[in-house]
Amino acid sequence: MISYLVDLGQLVAIFGLLAASLNLLVGYAGLFSVAHAVFFGLGAYTAAHLALAVSPDLLLGVLAAALLSGAASLVFALPALRVRGEYLVIASLGLQMLGSTVFTEAQGLTGGYGGLAGIPAPSLFGWTLESREALLAAALAILILAQFVINRLMRGSFGRSLMAIRDSESAAESLGKNVALIKTLAVALGSGLAGAAGALFAFQESFVNVESFTLDQSVLILAMVIIGGAGTLAGPLAGAALLLLLPAALSFIPHLPPTEIGAVQQLIYGLAMTLLMIFRPAGLLGRSEGGG
Amino acid sequence: MLLLQLLVNGLESGFLYALTAVGFALIFGATRIFHFAHGATYALAGYGFILGERLGLGPLASLGIALAAALGFGLFIEGAVYRPIERSRGAFFTLFVAAFGVVIAVQSLLELGFGRSYVVVSSPLSRAVSWNGLYIAPLFWISLCTALLLFGALALFLKLSPYGIALRALADSRFLIRTYGLSERRLARLAFALGSALTVPGAVLGALSTGLTPSVGAHIMLVSLTAAVVGGIGSMPGAALAGILLGLTETLAVDVLDTAWSEASGFVLLFLFILLRPQGIFGAELRR
Repeated sequence: MISYLVDLGQLVAIFGLLAASLNLLVGYAGLFSVAHAVFFGLGAYTAAHLALAVSPDLLLGVLAAALLSGAASLVFALPALRVRGEYLVIASLGLQMLGSTVFTEAQGLTGGYGGLAGIPAPSLFGWTLESREALLAAALAILILAQFVINRLMRGSFGRSLMAIRDSESAAESLGKNVALIKTLAVALGSGLAGAAGALFAFQESFVNVESFTLDQSVLILAMVIIGGAGTLAGPLAGAALLLLLPAALSFIPHLPPTEIGAVQQLIYGLAMTLLMIFRPAGLLGRSEGGG
Repeated sequence: MLLLQLLVNGLESGFLYALTAVGFALIFGATRIFHFAHGATYALAGYGFILGERLGLGPLASLGIALAAALGFGLFIEGAVYRPIERSRGAFFTLFVAAFGVVIAVQSLLELGFGRSYVVVSSPLSRAVSWNGLYIAPLFWISLCTALLLFGALALFLKLSPYGIALRALADSRFLIRTYGLSERRLARLAFALGSALTVPGAVLGALSTGLTPSVGAHIMLVSLTAAVVGGIGSMPGAALAGILLGLTETLAVDVLDTAWSEASGFVLLFLFILLRPQGIFGAELRR
């Protein structure tokens, strides 16, 4: 039971980080993306390869994953500079489908459906993090650090410029803000953090394959942000915790044939998304009406 | 010869994509709602047909069930999901998330009812007949004729019927529609009904030829979106042309690349269009 809770805690920390990174794009920058799982996946594959071939150092894996995902995010920044709103969502949809296909087909790099297995336990400053609790602590530390950085950034000049661009791009531009640069940086930062979450995910599962980086995953991350409350600090974390606890809670329903649990869970999740959007579009922790 | 055969196959799925995409474009043109759940309409229509066949009701009654499912769902989502959200805020992203929730719910309901695997209605119509070395199933001719017939009927309707003219007027100016005393609400319902009905032929023919899975809705949603963007948002001829183009691209990609890349090839097309020509083939300049 304890180890189950620790595993769940790790997942909440990792997906919390992931949701927080997407919140940077969706909540603060107003850039709606359903391709976040691609950058999550890039990070996971990077860390997995480094751990298998070079060294299972946690910091090395996380940093390399963040750098690579951040750099790769240019493919999302490019359409983000050209189009907005629905068009950007559709562009990111295209990007996500391409990403899934590449992850499936580039078997030399990703192992396709077989994935990359046997990722060793990570080490930190020469200590091997054998126990699950140690990895949980590391993931929590990274999550807190990331939340701290996001909080500081969003209160500073960068965050204010970003939100100004979100609310009115032409107004921000006329005040002399470098819109292209600020947007690109925000995308790189959000995707880089997603890469870091991917690295943690690879170490946590000690196995990665394409199934964790599909459109469904992107939508799940997005749902975490939206359901929790976009543009708030705590919202994405709450959303991540809620959506990860849902399957666990459902398994306690009596008389539910185990084969149908997946479908019932999806049904509740889909309905919850729709109902929430109708009755509380700002999310559970979001400011209702007015802002955003 | 292989190329010609692929061309035929590509056209067959292209016609069906075109019909679905035109439905999407019709809804968007009249209501400015990005109907992300259009694929769910398609899936429900297809499974409605399958249900009718399983109950042994015969093709005509099954077609009726499919049509009823599509119309019912289209009107339901307009009234119960889009309308309340539009009224309160109208943020497109709220619409997107809500519609996606509906897509997920419909897919899981279909999984609960019909299982996850492919379901096909077998029919002699899908048996290919050799014709000068080409293998063409009667379904090809049926989809060709249905597409042409429906496009013709739709064009006439939009051009001549007072409701069709009102729909086009709604796309131009909501304000003037209200000034003329027409109900925006009723016209939006009409657009949703027509657009949803246009998914039926594609869904039924899909059930007869390749078969359906509960996740078919997501694929169709992507196809309609791609066709709508590539053709130019809101342009129905553009969407039709882009739908055919998409069918051809997907099939021809099988020849050049690998089967796994056939779906992705459509998205390369989509991505390039958004980067280089976001207004699409026929679209006017972006107004955002």
